[in-house]
Amino acid sequence: MIGALWSNFDYAVSVVLFLIGLYCVIAKNNLIKKFMGLNIMETSVFAFIVAIGVVDRGSAPIMGPGARGPFVNPIPQALILTGIVVAVSTTALALSLIVRVWHQCGTIEADELRELE
Amino acid sequence: MWWQWAHWLPLAVLVPLGFGVTTPAVAGGDGGRAWRWAVLGSALAAATTLALVVRVAREGPFSYAFGGWNPPYGIEFRFDEVGAFAFVVASLGMLAIVFSGRYAEHALDPARIPYFYTLLLLDIAGLIGFSVTGDLFNMYVFMEIISLSSYALVAVSGERTAEMAAFKYLVLGAVSSLLVLFGIGMVYGTTGTLNLADAARRLGGVGSAVPVAVAIALMAAGFMVKSALFPLHVWLPDAHAIAPSPVSAVLSGLVVKVGLLGTFRLYQVVYRTGIVDLAALDQLFLWLGAISIVMGAFFAIFQDDIKMMLAYSTISNIGYIVMGFGLASKFALIGAAVHIFNHAIIKSALFLAAGAIIHQTGYRRLSELRGAGRGMPLTAAALSVGAVSIVGIPPTAGFLCKWYIALGAFEAGRAAFGFALVFGALFIFVYYIRMVNAFYFQEPVHADVVHAGDPPLSMLVPVWVLAGLCLAMGLAGKIPLTFITPAISRLLAPIGG
Amino acid sequence: METVDVRVLLAPAISFACSGLVFLMGRNVFWRRFWSLGAATLKLVVVMSMLPGALRGTTYVWRFIEFTPGISIAFRADALGMFFATVSSTLWLVTTVFAIGYMEPEHAKVRFFGFFALCVSTTVGVAFAENLLTLFVFYETLTICTYPLVIHEETPEALRAGRKYLAYTLSGGACILLGSALTYQVAGTLTLSKPGILPASADPRTLAILFTTLVAGFGVKAAIIPLHGWLPSAMVAPTPVSALLHAVAVVKVGAFGILRVVYNVFGVELLRRLGFTVPLAYLAAFTIIAASVAALFQDNLKRRLAYSTVSQLSYIVLGAALLTPAAACAAVAHIANQAFAKITMFFVAGSIQRTTGKTQIHELAGIGHEMPLTMAAFTVASLSFVGVPLFAGFITKWYLSLGALESGMWWFAIVMLASSLLNAAYWLPIVYLAFFKGPHGRGTGSGEARLLLLVPTLLCAAWVLVLGTTSDVPGMPFALARAAVEFVFKM
Repeated sequence: MIGALWSNFDYAVSVVLFLIGLYCVIAKNNLIKKFMGLNIMETSVFAFIVAIGVVDRGSAPIMGPGARGPFVNPIPQALILTGIVVAVSTTALALSLIVRVWHQCGTIEADELRELE
Repeated sequence: MWWQWAHWLPLAVLVPLGFGVTTPAVAGGDGGRAWRWAVLGSALAAATTLALVVRVAREGPFSYAFGGWNPPYGIEFRFDEVGAFAFVVASLGMLAIVFSGRYAEHALDPARIPYFYTLLLLDIAGLIGFSVTGDLFNMYVFMEIISLSSYALVAVSGERTAEMAAFKYLVLGAVSSLLVLFGIGMVYGTTGTLNLADAARRLGGVGSAVPVAVAIALMAAGFMVKSALFPLHVWLPDAHAIAPSPVSAVLSGLVVKVGLLGTFRLYQVVYRTGIVDLAALDQLFLWLGAISIVMGAFFAIFQDDIKMMLAYSTISNIGYIVMGFGLASKFALIGAAVHIFNHAIIKSALFLAAGAIIHQTGYRRLSELRGAGRGMPLTAAALSVGAVSIVGIPPTAGFLCKWYIALGAFEAGRAAFGFALVFGALFIFVYYIRMVNAFYFQEPVHADVVHAGDPPLSMLVPVWVLAGLCLAMGLAGKIPLTFITPAISRLLAPIGG
Repeated sequence: METVDVRVLLAPAISFACSGLVFLMGRNVFWRRFWSLGAATLKLVVVMSMLPGALRGTTYVWRFIEFTPGISIAFRADALGMFFATVSSTLWLVTTVFAIGYMEPEHAKVRFFGFFALCVSTTVGVAFAENLLTLFVFYETLTICTYPLVIHEETPEALRAGRKYLAYTLSGGACILLGSALTYQVAGTLTLSKPGILPASADPRTLAILFTTLVAGFGVKAAIIPLHGWLPSAMVAPTPVSALLHAVAVVKVGAFGILRVVYNVFGVELLRRLGFTVPLAYLAAFTIIAASVAALFQDNLKRRLAYSTVSQLSYIVLGAALLTPAAACAAVAHIANQAFAKITMFFVAGSIQRTTGKTQIHELAGIGHEMPLTMAAFTVASLSFVGVPLFAGFITKWYLSLGALESGMWWFAIVMLASSLLNAAYWLPIVYLAFFKGPHGRGTGSGEARLLLLVPTLLCAAWVLVLGTTSDVPGMPFALARAAVEFVFKM
């Protein structure tokens, strides 16, 4: 058990990070903190996918003079670049929503907002 | 033949995307011009997807490999019968955009109108892309395009409640997307491929079933949040009720189907590999579907706000479809797949008609809308047709699903769920009858409701096209049913068959 | 012999088109009446034109549209269906005339006549349904179309009655839907053109569930106790609606459905072997007696009529459940016998209400002096229900008793006798009250009802006598009933 966990250490870390993020989303009262939790979750998934492509002692898969294998798998990295773009857009949209909520309600604490409704 | 041209498939996504991005520039601040541009774009998208539907009906599924890189190495678009949802998306999207013309003038800040159409077109582009992609990661990307534009569309009216609803939707939507992405990552980790068909092939040979099972669980959970299955539905009623009515039509009719379509794609990958036993998932779907039907109807009964009521009824209908998945027999799956299409039509009809009534009268509560049947007979009649259809009174579109899932329940030997479905539908009738009573048979409260008059043609025509489709899709039920059957047969075909 | 003939489709289509025209042009009194009467007449002509062929044994068929793969919306006029269609289209014409007279002071007449026509369209659709799904489609549509008629008054009481009506009938519809799905699963077909489609080899428990769901589903509209609760409440509707829908169309559709289930889905042989109909026969017998007893205690004329309907409908159910040719004859013929007698009574109740404003039975003392013709019609109908020879009701009772003896269950013949006595006990006092009691205080001096109300009433009463005296005349409806029975029993 421990051995399996140790050999998949990177995966285990990303699962733990994911759960920490989920906890923040559920438990935190401040909208920005909620959203930071979401960012933690995003990071954990990205880390997980990048970790899939890791090859021991592999180098960056950039071709050119002097490039020597083994290379790490480039596909997950390309995917995560796209993923990061998506994550940034989500963050921007969420933050702009939070700003507007703050302007209109004067608070971004979830419980106070619920009372306003 | 004209429909055999290979590039229709990428064009179906690129057209709405291109028109969407260029809308603000073309409009130059003129809402009317933005509207015309958006109508043109969505009409072209509908024409393009129609070509695809014709081809799939004649030739069966086909693929498009980007840049000549063949799958599994290149990116693949694959169009099958279920992907015909793209056509539904484009045509309903077009009707919603046509409807928005007059609606947006009243409901939105003029400066925002071009961006409103941009978002709608992006949403449509995402939905079309999601239905036609043959690649797991692209599924995620299109899902995010849909989600981001939907979050923004909910908030577009700029009211405080709208922004709160949008934020709630955003948080749950983002969590569910991440669950799906996690699952996609695990599938990639175990199979080394992102192509759906390739993954299906390779899954048969993987050593351990555990990561596959976890991946399926994660993706199914994510998709179920997206499609608002009880108890993961909390975001839906607010978001769908507060959004402008044409947006509600798109969200409730089309966007929630992303989860269901995703589940279907997931089935296509794992169903025949035999690597994991899906019985547990089926069981979960069955029960959650049944509970959704009842709970959605139950909550709807207590709503006075007409759009809130429609939003809860979406939860019930998602329950039908998920239950059809869970029954996993041929009839049930056909019924579920067809209901994905039919519910889109019916719910759009309902939301657009409700939107027209709200637009004309300014009221949105049933208790205030009494007498609307006298004031706006054509709109109220369309709404009644939709109501009859969603309850599943034959010979309307909603009945097909009930009939097929009931057949499927007996086929699967789970008669009790057939009973749950059919009697759950009765429960739904309770609140639609309240609506009909309020419109036609109760004393008006506000005099202006009785004198409101039917809306302008640009709103009335889309409403009645949809209401007519509710009837036509029922009477000509054979067409969608025979159309979808090959996809289900392939799904259920024995391994190697 | 089967012939493809568009008239089977035309019959429901005419009323459907009529309702559309009424909705479009009905604000004008002339056009509303023109289309309603014109369509009713045309439809009667179309149905009657098929009658000679049907009596010769021809079956007319028309496939309309393929609804789902393998199952069409299809129409087929066999003897049983023709019988029901003839009854309902005849009564539609008569009731339309009556309704034009009766509804004059009412509101929302466009809605009324529009939905009225739709209801008849769906009723004929049920009569001509070629398969169980077509039948179900029209059965459910009928439920929806009658709702605006039931709650026509728009009072809270009417809305409550309407809700109750929908709750009962839609639940019944749900049962039928499940039953049909199960039938399709077991038999692989839903056609009603054969004397029985279910395979004898099927699991008896499945068949028991199937029988229960289908009979319970149709039994709601056929108002078998304990599924009858909606019918007395639905009497808040205007009298022509009660007359056509709640004594003829809606309830008969239920009874007709049970006949179809017994004869065309299960088939007589299979049911004899399984014995499912015995409990149904007991239930029907109980309904006959219990509803009659309940009717005794009603003072509102329309409510008494409602309970009488509950009781009379179970004659049909009992006739079907006894599974003998004589009983089957009685069941089919009673569709017409009860319809004409009951509609006469409803017309009388409506005429009295419109002319004098009276709705309670104790107010009717001496009414026979004011409205002798109307009350004469009432007397004819009463005697028919009591089962006096030469009146239509006698035919039913005679054949039903014969059927009971044939099947060896003689005690059902005693039920018939008891029912006759009960009928006498609750109808004849009204006749006595009307003709032989002086009015309390001064009479209203209202005189006879107006002709638009009176003529349909008298016509129906006359037809009750015709039905009662012509059962052996070839070419009369009873011959059609015999043809239906001969097909079912493969004679």
